[in-house]
Amino acid sequence: MQFLTNTHIDFIGNRKAALIFSGLLILAGIASLILRGGPNYGIDFLGGTSMELHFEKDVAIEDVRSAVREAGFESAEIKSFGGPREILIRVEEQEAQSEISAPIQESISQRLPDNPYIVQLVEKVGPKIGAELRTAAFFAILIALFFILLYVSWRFEFIFAVGAIVALFHDIIITLGVFSFLGLEITLAIIAAFLTIVGYSLNDTIVVFDRIRENLKVLRREKYDSIINISINQSLSRTIMTSVTTLIVVMVLYFFGGEVINSFAFALIVGVLIGTYSSVFIASPILVEWEKRRELKKGRPMAKRA
Amino acid sequence: MRKNNIFRTIIIALAVAWALVVLFPTFQLTNQEKKAEAYYSLIEKSTTLSKNDIKAALSAGNLELAVRDNFRGNDGESVDDVLTTVNDLTEIDKKIETTEPNSIKLGLDLQGGTYLVYELNMPALLEKLSKQNDEVIETALANADKTAKSENRDFFDVLTEMLQEKGIALNRYFGRRTDSDSEIISKLKDEAHDAIERTLEVLRNRIDQFGVSEPSITKQGSDRVVVELAGIQDVGRAKSIIGTTALLEFQLEAEQDVVRGVFNEINRVMKKDLSEGDIDSLAVTSDSSVAPAKVRKDKEVSLEEVFGESSILEEKGVAQADTSDSTVLLDEDVFQDRPFDALLANVGGDIGVPTKNVATVRRILNSPDVQAVLPNDIEFLFFNRPVQNGENSFYRMYVLKKEPELRGDQISNADVQIGSQLQAGQSVVGMELTNEGAKIFSKVTGANVGKRLAIVLDGKIVSIPNINERIPSGRAQISGMANIDEAKDLAIVLRAGALPAPIEVIEERTVGPSLGQDSIRKGTSSAFFGLMIVIVFMGVYYRLSGLVADIALLLNLFIIMAVLAGFHATLTLPGVAGIILTIGMAVDANVLIFERIREELRSGKTVRAAIDSGYGRAFKTILDANVTTLLTALVLYQFGTGPIKGFALTLSIGIVVSMFTAIVVTRVIFDFFTSRMTLKKLSI
Repeated sequence: MQFLTNTHIDFIGNRKAALIFSGLLILAGIASLILRGGPNYGIDFLGGTSMELHFEKDVAIEDVRSAVREAGFESAEIKSFGGPREILIRVEEQEAQSEISAPIQESISQRLPDNPYIVQLVEKVGPKIGAELRTAAFFAILIALFFILLYVSWRFEFIFAVGAIVALFHDIIITLGVFSFLGLEITLAIIAAFLTIVGYSLNDTIVVFDRIRENLKVLRREKYDSIINISINQSLSRTIMTSVTTLIVVMVLYFFGGEVINSFAFALIVGVLIGTYSSVFIASPILVEWEKRRELKKGRPMAKRA
Repeated sequence: MRKNNIFRTIIIALAVAWALVVLFPTFQLTNQEKKAEAYYSLIEKSTTLSKNDIKAALSAGNLELAVRDNFRGNDGESVDDVLTTVNDLTEIDKKIETTEPNSIKLGLDLQGGTYLVYELNMPALLEKLSKQNDEVIETALANADKTAKSENRDFFDVLTEMLQEKGIALNRYFGRRTDSDSEIISKLKDEAHDAIERTLEVLRNRIDQFGVSEPSITKQGSDRVVVELAGIQDVGRAKSIIGTTALLEFQLEAEQDVVRGVFNEINRVMKKDLSEGDIDSLAVTSDSSVAPAKVRKDKEVSLEEVFGESSILEEKGVAQADTSDSTVLLDEDVFQDRPFDALLANVGGDIGVPTKNVATVRRILNSPDVQAVLPNDIEFLFFNRPVQNGENSFYRMYVLKKEPELRGDQISNADVQIGSQLQAGQSVVGMELTNEGAKIFSKVTGANVGKRLAIVLDGKIVSIPNINERIPSGRAQISGMANIDEAKDLAIVLRAGALPAPIEVIEERTVGPSLGQDSIRKGTSSAFFGLMIVIVFMGVYYRLSGLVADIALLLNLFIIMAVLAGFHATLTLPGVAGIILTIGMAVDANVLIFERIREELRSGKTVRAAIDSGYGRAFKTILDANVTTLLTALVLYQFGTGPIKGFALTLSIGIVVSMFTAIVVTRVIFDFFTSRMTLKKLSI
């Protein structure tokens, strides 16, 4: 079985449309981020406590809410998830406070003595740890990008590295925008997903670049932009194929992986889609734009390149 | 080519053999655990013991005894029948002990457990080390701590800077008069280092005695301790054992006339302030600079309601305040004359503070005006639990001499005893003092017969017995424990010793055992579904060649598991996610190769030539693409905390292994077929 072989799609010719499309997505993402006052950080980065309780019988959210209030946590966020017996309690803490889960649990046990529960999950992150994790996440992404820039410049050319990095920023900003638009939380796991997207999208981009590098040597008579277009077309079936297998497992993870890795898998779904798109429509066209400007400066029309 | 293939085949055989050897214990362990589970439920059925009881007895080595004592028996069953099961279980348990360290470890999120990060309270430690504690150093320490935390800087750097700005020499508070600032700082850093080491030691002792299998207690940075406890049921109890400072002090009650004098003074100050309308000076407002941290968590009892403009005279008698929490219990008759006493009550001859009033009373006691008139050598302390008296609950409050007669470091042993006489049937904690402690105790008790000696734990009174006679034996008791668990826990912390300074939980991640099992189940089923779909998809798209890639994929997963087991890595839920992601991405190398082979075939090459150049040309691409992915995975590993590390680890292993299986293994299979038969067409 084969599909998408011997395609002659004019990716480069249509790059303006792609750039406008991406630009709109990015603008929408940034607008959403601004309107919502920045990313919706989870307690990993803000500091706070979150608890998941599993009750033996159905429980009224109002009872839990007033119990938590009685324990002195007015601003706690309480919601049910997954079913009428599962309750999620979240307390954001701005200041270091010794104990939050114990008094809440005590208060709930007192209020609902004949509906026992088990604590499924407790996550408490002190504000200092939150700040540390924020810095660490920021630097991790920065360091990763730096190494990529170095490696790609070494194996290819500097401009290839620029193309790859721009595509990566494109992917991250759009995924961040989707998360902001849907009101999803940025947790440690999501940062891990972002870095995985970086790795994945780069992988895709490198494969196309590799073809370009090869074709630049073989197809000397072709114009620069058509070499790039041919290269994208040649690697298109691989690009689609790998995206499909990756998407399959990520979708399975999203639907069957359980709520703990649900949003992680969602980030990957968005990332794989955007990452595949960007390696075709963003990373390579940047090479063409760059080359065009270079030729213009030299006063020569875009021609074959040694 | 042939030689090359022999070499490759040997490598593959070695890798598979190694993987089999390394994975064997994990395989064994699953079987052993299944058997053990069966034995557990058999014993559970025949005795009154729960699974946890059996486990505890098993690790203590007295399961046989426990079974005999708690034998219930089903029809026709004798104790001996159960004892054979006990023997079997003991044997299996021993085997598990040897196989477990060599198997794939499951992370806390998969087997249930808790991950706690504690931080040493540096200001508290330094206050303890300080030669004199005044407001200047206390605020400096608190501010330095705050700044260091918010700006993510070293505490000592910030402290030095702050004190220099204010022109305060460190030697006023620490070290010798002649020491320079930098000498003192380095000494303090040593002390902090010491303190964290001692904390580690004390926590190890406490957790060992609490009985958790394979706890992990490690230092992180210069002032943190990471505690990982797997498979524990009662996280709350474990936390309270780990987290208590457990500073035990024996303090004598102040003389009666001193106490009377102190109360008169407080009443006088309050009356004066009230008549001047200077309510603020009494810390009536909830100004956080006046209210100490301890108060904040108590239910707020606002004085404004009572002492504010409108309501002072509206209260009648001993007003039972309405249900709103912002009121206090007040004895109106004495309020005009002795306003402080009006907030208190007489509980069995002792001073009782209605629970509603505790916060208010604390605030008054801590207000500058009151502090100014209190003698330096006494302090007000509360009992650690309330007493019920009529409709209301009260906390008893005592005036104690500040300087302790004896400290917890003089305790040589502590255990739970069942009380006699007055506390018949109750759990009490018996303490044995060291020789030196016994001498001091004997002297103190001898000199203070008829007085009361408070036993104070972390600033709260746990017991305040009357001294009836001199006690030369060096034995003392703490009574009034709510239940036997509380008594056990107190004995543990007393035996293990006090922490050098309080510690705080700054990060906690707890996963219940059922959620862990749920995650394993969902993780395995996702991996299985994902694998199946990808395998079928590859088979359909690349036909026989796709199946070759599928073999490589299965081998890839197998070797990933082997690497995890071989390097004693821990498998976490994100780790499982990493493996699942690998399933999708590992076939990429084969996709690249196959697409190349298809191209070469289209250009008219023979099968063998197409395979050769397909592999040759794809290799460079695969290398570049995988190195960059590996780079990001390694950065992720470096930066990540526990769970993320697990993900990055399996992802990295998966990438490296996939290069081996997708390039080397599939090549050998292709070459095997193409060398035996001349293929006109390749199924690709």
